[in-house]
Amino acid sequence: MGTSDRLERIREQANVADRDADEPTVLAAVVLAISLLLLSPVAWVLITASEMPTGRLVELVGSETTMAVTVNTLVLVVAVTTMSVVIGVPLALLTVQTDLPFKRFWTVTAALPLVVPSYIGAFAFVSAFGPRGELADLLAPLGIQQIPTIYGLHGTVLVLTLFTYPYVFLTTRASLISFDGTVIEAARTLNASRWQAFKRVTLPQILPGIAAGALLVALYTLSDFGTPAIMRYDVFTRMVFVEEQARNPDAAAVLSLLLLVLAMSILAVESRIGASRDGAYVASGDRRAGEIELGYWELPAMGFCAAIGALCLALPIGILGLWLVRSTEAAPAGFVFELQHVTNSVLLAGGAAALCVVVALPIAYLSARGDGTLSSLPERVSYVGYAVPGVVIGLSLIYLALRFVPFLYQSLFVLVFAYVVRFLPQAVGTTESSVLQVDPSYLEAARSLGYGPLTSFRKVVLPLVAPGVAAGAALVFLTTMKELPATLMLRPIGFETIVTYIWLVRGAAYQGQAAVPALILVGVSGLSMLIILRQEA
Amino acid sequence: MTDGTSSRRRLLALGGATAAGSLAGCFGLFSDDSSNQVGVSLSDFRGSGPLVESRDQPGGTSITDLPPLEGGLTVYLGGGEGGLYVELLDLFQQAYDGFTVNHRLDSSSSLANQIIEESANDATQADLFLSVDAGSLGAVANAGAAQSLPSEALDAVPGSFQDGDGRWVGIAGRARAIPYNSDRLSESDIPNQVRDFPNTGALEGTMGWAPAYGAFQSFITAMRLNRSDGAARSWLESMQDHGITEYDNEFAISNSVADGELAAGFANHYYSLRVRSGRSNAPLELAFTEGDAGALVNVSGLEILDGTNKSELAGNFARHVLSAEAQEFFATRTFAYPMISGVAPVGDLPRIDDLNPPDIDLTELADVSGTVDLMREAGVL
Repeated sequence: MGTSDRLERIREQANVADRDADEPTVLAAVVLAISLLLLSPVAWVLITASEMPTGRLVELVGSETTMAVTVNTLVLVVAVTTMSVVIGVPLALLTVQTDLPFKRFWTVTAALPLVVPSYIGAFAFVSAFGPRGELADLLAPLGIQQIPTIYGLHGTVLVLTLFTYPYVFLTTRASLISFDGTVIEAARTLNASRWQAFKRVTLPQILPGIAAGALLVALYTLSDFGTPAIMRYDVFTRMVFVEEQARNPDAAAVLSLLLLVLAMSILAVESRIGASRDGAYVASGDRRAGEIELGYWELPAMGFCAAIGALCLALPIGILGLWLVRSTEAAPAGFVFELQHVTNSVLLAGGAAALCVVVALPIAYLSARGDGTLSSLPERVSYVGYAVPGVVIGLSLIYLALRFVPFLYQSLFVLVFAYVVRFLPQAVGTTESSVLQVDPSYLEAARSLGYGPLTSFRKVVLPLVAPGVAAGAALVFLTTMKELPATLMLRPIGFETIVTYIWLVRGAAYQGQAAVPALILVGVSGLSMLIILRQEA
Repeated sequence: MTDGTSSRRRLLALGGATAAGSLAGCFGLFSDDSSNQVGVSLSDFRGSGPLVESRDQPGGTSITDLPPLEGGLTVYLGGGEGGLYVELLDLFQQAYDGFTVNHRLDSSSSLANQIIEESANDATQADLFLSVDAGSLGAVANAGAAQSLPSEALDAVPGSFQDGDGRWVGIAGRARAIPYNSDRLSESDIPNQVRDFPNTGALEGTMGWAPAYGAFQSFITAMRLNRSDGAARSWLESMQDHGITEYDNEFAISNSVADGELAAGFANHYYSLRVRSGRSNAPLELAFTEGDAGALVNVSGLEILDGTNKSELAGNFARHVLSAEAQEFFATRTFAYPMISGVAPVGDLPRIDDLNPPDIDLTELADVSGTVDLMREAGVL
């Protein structure tokens, strides 16, 4: 289909009166340009992969290691995603639809683990439950010599689940809050049991929300390198890393392509679940459903919330505290942690969040208002970068910047662009669900009162979608705060952030020096999480 | 050869530093008989602790005898433990008011990639590349992105620890070693040759390695060069059959050996010294193999990049890094082998001249790509 046909389709889909034929065209053109820009790192992957001699390519793709690692990666993605749903959905239901005591508190503790970088979580779990960790030390006097190993698939699943399930929690919670509670009451008056009402009314309504969160979890798992490496489980990203370190960019690119194929399969699965979004977000009633009384389930429910909070928050923060207390060495010269590290991190994360919001709006608007698959294509495209490992984004942007925009090489612009490529879908997702909740007739009313398209958008739509936009910005902010691989490769000379500092002291094996920066990272990101939760209330 | 053998087999009397030697003599200011004044003294460069207390004054050229550093340099600094070198850069800045150095820290191979890309686009950003791995230096040199170093810098270092064409020079040595737990094994359990490890009953299922780690890959590259691809591959396969645990870095291996979680492992020598400097009672000792890949001495090194217009300052910087004070820094703060004969390694480590590494051109360690392919075929990666 040619571009003009495509624009024609979008124009029809947008269902705008003839006099305004220009607006959707402009919107579509802007979105098309953004999408192409976002896909530029993928173009590098394709070009570089195609430079690999066929013999080596066949050998690499067909090798036993590649097969084994593909299976490992798939098993990990399925396990982490499933476990995240198993933890995230009940937590969302408990904190939105029941009479759980201290709901506000449990909401915060359930969402906060997202601000803990999963590699720091992994260090904490190894320190706590490793072969010579704190638990082993505690049990040794009791005559217990060996505890089951934390390393391998189960440990990796545990750590990744505990620090990514909040994606599912947040998206599920958002759809629970926005959907019309009177529907459940209607079901109950029709003699449906509580379980039937949940299965036949609530579940179909929140399923796209669950799927959206599960998608973020699955793609994060696919692209994460640090956690599986620390937990000693071989996945695709490690192969990519090994090839990058061996200075084989072509092999790294080929493996990234395989990773992208996996990512697109996951996207396709999610599209099918999310497809029935009519009514999913749109039916936002004013009334919440009556609270479910927990009764004697109250204590077990609180125990569940507390256990998750203890594992995800108390444990890593406690371990960081131990490192801090035990580190006797003072920071050597050249390893001094300064306020500058924090302000640099905040500056970068703030820039990435702001740019993501601006870029996400047109994409989300087109996807939400158009009704064809074509109009949601850019939204799908925005997820691609999220699945590409950070080192590959880094490699490709070094290559592209040097060739096409040498004056921007090693500038903050390129680094912030890398964050947008990686994290945009988080902003698109939340923005899109807010746009879906805006009745299109409001906009038509504004237009009929003689306002121009941009003015009507600014006066009518923007205030209504602001909470979703803010939530998206906060999500991008806290993920950018945690990002390491692309930051290392693309930061300007002399520009150090909290995570590059943590990387430096870990590499030099001054573990104790990592504690304060890690706690500050968690603290600052924690503030942005409060913004997300406040917008929902 | 027997003489060399005995020194190669020597174990480290770690932590048991003899109390001979006076502290006062070691910490004197260097500027007593200097030709120029610098703002730092030897004690600033020197580490502390039992391994360092009784050391002699370092020999070699003092920085006070070198032309002062003036101006600004940009250095690409290959980590992770290369992060320790940040301290050295800091000391040079303290030494000279008119000298500043910016650095970019990342893994050595990533920086090598980046330098090669920049050079190909005439956009070199740095004046110097400091790398913890000769292979990365070799890759940059082979891509035509490095220029020759001044002879004053090259002359200080043995020929085997510099590039044949003078495009990079070693600044600190990193010996491959076998850390072992002395509660679980005795010295005689560790074979003299790496090739005998898979046939040694005492090592069955008790060792650890870090195949994704650059230093380990250089060791396998050395095995390919020293013997053959086939030999390296079958060694990797038989080690796996023998049972070996995979780690993601060699500091972790050394810690696990100290803990007794592993009986022995493959690691660079200085990780064990670092473990011991923090835990002086740990039952951790080092053994070395002889004349084979297991005895490889890789280097951290430095090269001047082709795109710089500050060759003279960069060359003077290289001489500073090879000064008595800076070499004392590498020896006592990073526990590496000094590259100049006037400075001794810490503890009971054999001197650089007594080492018996395999006869390998370190620039050839650049072929990591072939090694990674081979390791993948062997099912290790």
